[in-house]
Order: sequence, then structure tokens, then C-alpha cells
Amino acid sequence: MQKSASAASLGPGGIDLSQIFFKPTQNTSTPSPTKRHTKISVIGTGNVGMAIAQTILTQDLADELALVDAKADKLRGEMLDLQHAAAFLPRTRILASTDYSATNGSDLCIVTAGARQNPGESRLNLLQRNVEMFQGIIPPLARSSPDTILMIVSNPVDVLTYVAWKLSGFPSNRVIGSGTNLDSSRFRFLIADHLDVNAQDVQAYIVGEHGDSSVALWSSISVGGVPVLSFLEKQQIPYEKEALERIHKAVVESADEVISLKGYTSWAIGYSAANLARSLLRDQRKIHPVSVLANGFYGIAGDVFLSLPAMLGRGGVLGVTNVHLTDEEAQRLRNSARTISEVQSQLGL
Amino acid sequence: MQKSASASSLGPGGLDLSNIFFKPIQNTSPPSPTKRHTKISVIGVGNVGMAIAQTILTQDLADEIALVDAQPAKLRGEMLDLQHAAAFLPRTKIIASTDYSATVGSDLCIVSAGARQIAGESRLNLLQRNVALFRGIIPPLAKYSPGTILMIVSNPVDVLTYVAWKLSGFPSNRVVGSGTNLDSSRFRFLIADHLDVNAQDVQASIIGEHGDSSVALWSSISVGGVPILSFLEKQQIPYEKETLEGIHKAVVDSAYEVISLKGYTSWAIGYSAANLARSILRDQRKIHPVSVLAKGFYGIDDGDVFLSLPALLGRGGVLGVTNVNLTDEEAQRLRKSAQTILKVQSQLGL
Repeated sequence: MQKSASAASLGPGGIDLSQIFFKPTQNTSTPSPTKRHTKISVIGTGNVGMAIAQTILTQDLADELALVDAKADKLRGEMLDLQHAAAFLPRTRILASTDYSATNGSDLCIVTAGARQNPGESRLNLLQRNVEMFQGIIPPLARSSPDTILMIVSNPVDVLTYVAWKLSGFPSNRVIGSGTNLDSSRFRFLIADHLDVNAQDVQAYIVGEHGDSSVALWSSISVGGVPVLSFLEKQQIPYEKEALERIHKAVVESADEVISLKGYTSWAIGYSAANLARSLLRDQRKIHPVSVLANGFYGIAGDVFLSLPAMLGRGGVLGVTNVHLTDEEAQRLRNSARTISEVQSQLGL
Repeated sequence: MQKSASASSLGPGGLDLSNIFFKPIQNTSPPSPTKRHTKISVIGVGNVGMAIAQTILTQDLADEIALVDAQPAKLRGEMLDLQHAAAFLPRTKIIASTDYSATVGSDLCIVSAGARQIAGESRLNLLQRNVALFRGIIPPLAKYSPGTILMIVSNPVDVLTYVAWKLSGFPSNRVVGSGTNLDSSRFRFLIADHLDVNAQDVQASIIGEHGDSSVALWSSISVGGVPILSFLEKQQIPYEKETLEGIHKAVVDSAYEVISLKGYTSWAIGYSAANLARSILRDQRKIHPVSVLAKGFYGIDDGDVFLSLPALLGRGGVLGVTNVNLTDEEAQRLRKSAQTILKVQSQLGL
């Protein structure tokens, strides 16, 4: 494994102990290439990118972590800040470069880079700026790691995942968007907090657009295996459709609430992306609501990416779960798909 | 365990399923109080405080985390951003308040509140601002958790650990500063990176002031148990004292370098503090260079001063200081470091 250039001598104009401190045994051959060497690249070292990178590091998900950004100083500072923790972590190689060659041989590339919305700017205009940015990001990533899995986090995630798919030329199982994985976690948190139960015992999906037209799958929510709505009906407990819609709305507004309070979100999306990375790279075959090519599911026609409950593993998207949707849920999902397609069609890709 | 107020109904004006979804079994008594309920409070939700809190959460070191800060909106935002990850983490209760009563019953209180070190500003320049702040922080912490361990991270850490000790009235084993734990990690990283070996196989301490007058214990550095300087001498490899000083300086400058590049440091200190938290709360009896009451060690007799020494940490806090063999020069530098700190401390009138 190559040392960083600065380590060639210990200290400025310093001592070189590297050849003498450790002696190889007799008759060695060069070290076997490590068969399992997991490399993750994170593009964009803003709050989101760094929360993702740091969580991946703490959770020991990779042997090598590459950071790429356009701002060289910030990038180097973030790399050093992670490297300085070496004594407290399992050994992970951390590198950083403004050049995409640093991402060579990545098993997973996570893209968080994106323009921030200017005051008064239309969503479409913001989108067009991000598409341009992706034209400088996706092709080099695909060249440097032709077999990698691309995970898009930048917003609007569904459209940008479609863009990444088009620009990379990858098969659709290797391009996903973080989608509603986090919305679903927030949803599960709300329900779990109310019932004072562990959030991991709450199965609840939000699917569709990661945005205003997302769809809460009320008919599929269960706690410890007990479907919530049927439970209410059996117990003859009345509930109003509006109450459910308000809960869903609270989830959709969660991100805006955090942004209005602390200026941005970072930790939760960091955990969400690391969670997806783990399912993919450790071949966990777990089901996550993430943005996938939805063409052909639930009556959705046309190339559009939106979140569906998908089984993820080392091969990327292994399949979409055949969840039973009510007619209304399926209709809302198709509306969500149309919302996204409308925007996409203006991009000329 | 109490639910958050907002969870009493599901959604605004919403459903209350809480009493019907789970039915208790017959003849129960109220739940036994959990004997092992570890609570950590983090004071200050800036970049450092949040890196510490988030690392503690990811590493599953606590059952309950309380966040305290003066800015309520930022505080609430940070709390929500951690809570929203509930589906991805073991269940940890996360609370936040501008009121110190939220810290009641803490096993460990980590204080990161303080003005940020500006590029080029020495740690000592921050001092006056931070002492005033501590008068509003330490007494309430001590009041609400009289048995807690206080860990100070705010800079200048050695003086502020002394201040915290004075203001809390705690015995000295329960007041510790993050000190040179991170400097030592940076030192070990440099050596490990050069030798292409795991940093955990490099034993190397920087002690004394967490600042310009820190002392690198060259005579005690070993890799896989092999003392480096004796190794060089046995191999008849010449080295210059200036080279060693250059390496030490690179470590001291590390923080300033990161600050000039990204504006502040966060991740490394987060891991460092979480590492200390783990040794303390899990009674690991591990040796860490942290800021402790140094009076009586290595000829430091002039007054009550806190500076980093290799200390054995466990559930009781500072269990002891390792009796490292210092060269005469290292001991002299350490005493000078103590004097530097005492000079500043004496101006505080505590």
C-alpha cells in the first residue's frame, strides 16, 4: 500500500526509518493483493458529504475512503481532520483530491455535490445548474470505476439519479438515489416515539418522490408485525384520513424544520447513507426505500427514478419488493412519477 | 422512560395509540429502574460538541445523551437531526435544553462550549472569554450531577480544566481535560504513516500543555514494543535533535493547519473525546495523556496546575498517573510547561 507523499520522511527534512524498522522474512514474494479491499468515494465535502464520510469511517465500512471536491483547501482540511483520529480507529486509508483519478477502483461512489438554491431561483434553474455539475462529475467517476455502484444524495435526488444513470451509461441496478430512506426513518421515529418502542420494530415506508408528492404506505405499516391500520379497525378505534395526512406532512416538513433551526441537515442523512452503504457492500439483502428505475412497477411507464422498497446487496438493486398498494396509494405513486417526469422532460437528456 | 412531549399524540391533533398498542401482562409491578443507564451530557452544540455527541451516538456509548447550549433554535435542530436517525441506530434517548436541569443524573459531562479559536489566535487568547462562560456552566452541572465526571474540551483546555475544578468543588479525580490525547494521536499518526504500520502499534505521548509548550516524550516512543531512539542508536543511525523538534512542531501546528484549511477542527477531537468517554464509562483502565491535577509529579510543586500526563482512566475517573521515566530535559520542559500555565492562571483570581 502506498504511503502518502508527506510520509516519505518523518518530519520536514527528516529521518527515514521506513526501510530499516521492519525487516521482511526470507524468500518472500510481493504481498498478495488484498482480495477484499473496499473503497468508497465521497464526492462533495460539505456538511452532508462529511457526515456521510465520517459515519462510514466510524462504522468501519471501508478499507479506503476517497474524498473529492472542487475546493482544495477545504478538502485537505477535512482529510487531515479524519486522518488525525488514526489512533482511535481501525486503520483506514483516507485520501483526498480535486482530481477524479483518486476515485479509481471504488466499490461505491456517493455523490453529495450540488449547487445551493439562490434566493428567488426557480427549482428548474437550480436543477439545470446541478445537471451541468453532474456532467463534470459522473463521467469521470464512471471512467475511474467502471463497475462501481453510484449512490446519489444531491437534491432533487430522483431527477439527479436519472441524470447520473444517463450520464454514466451504467445498468440501472448500479445507480440508486438515497431517496426516501431518510423520510422513512423519520416516519418510523415519529411512530416509535409515540408508542415508546424501538424504531427498528416499526416497519413503515414512504415511497415515491423525495419531496412534496411522496406517498406514505399506511396500509403497510406494522409494529412488531402487527399491521397498524387493521389493528385500529379491529379495535374499532376511529381515525380520520386527515390525521394520517398531517403525520405524513410532518415528515415531509421535518427536513425544512431542521434547516430552519440549524441551517442544514447532516447527521441523519449521514447515518442513512452509511446504512445503505452497509447493505450494499456487505451484501445484506435488506429492503430499503430508495430511488430506483421505476419503469414497469405499479403502472408507472417511462424512464423515471423514484423510491420503491428495494432489496439491496453487493450487486446493487437486486429487485423491488412486491408491496401491496391500495388503489389510492398506487394512484398517488403514479402522480408522483408524473411530477418527476414533467421536470425531467425539460432537461433534454 | 418518559416520552418526549410531542409524542403524546401521533401527529398534530392526532391519534393516541400509546395505551392500546401494547398490553401489560398480569400482576406486573412498575418496570425496575435500569441499573446500568449511562447518561452523557454535552455542553455546546457547535462543530466540536456535535462531532463528540454524534461519535458517542454512533459508537453506542450511552443510553441517554443530553445536549445543552444557549442557542435554542440551533440546539433543537441538532437534536432533531440526531433523532431522525433512529431507524439506523440502537435506541438512545436524546434530549436537548437550554436549561441545565436536562443534565441531571449524568455520568459524564463534556464541556465544549467556548469561543472558537480564530486562525492565528493562540489558545491563551481565548481565555478570558471562556472563564466568564464557565461561571454559568460548571456550577449548574455540578449541582445537577454531583457524582459526575467532568471532561473539559474547551480551549485553553488546561487552564479551563483548573477553572472547572475550582468552580465545581469536585475531587480532582473527577475533573479531566481532553488535553494532549489528540496531539498524541496526531503524533502517532505521523509516525505510523511513515512506517506504514497501524497507529495503534505506535506508543507515543505528547504531554504538558495542550499548546505551544507541549513536551514530546521521545525517550518513551516505541513501535510494537521497540523503543525508537535506542533502536536508532543501536543501528548507528544518526539523527539530529532539530529533526525531532521539527516533527513535534508539525504536530503542534496540525490544529492550526486544519483550522486554516477548513475553518475549524471537529472530527478528530470528536473521536478523541469519545475514546476518553469509553475508557471512563466502561472502566477500561487505559492510559491516556489527559489534563489532570499535576501537582506533585515530576517536580511540579509550584501550585495547583492541570496539564497532560499519562493517566490511567476508568469509571472512577483518574485512577492514577503513570510513572514514566522522563529524561532530565523532558522533566525540565514539563516544569516549564507548568510554569507557562500557572502564569496565566494566576491572572484569573480563582
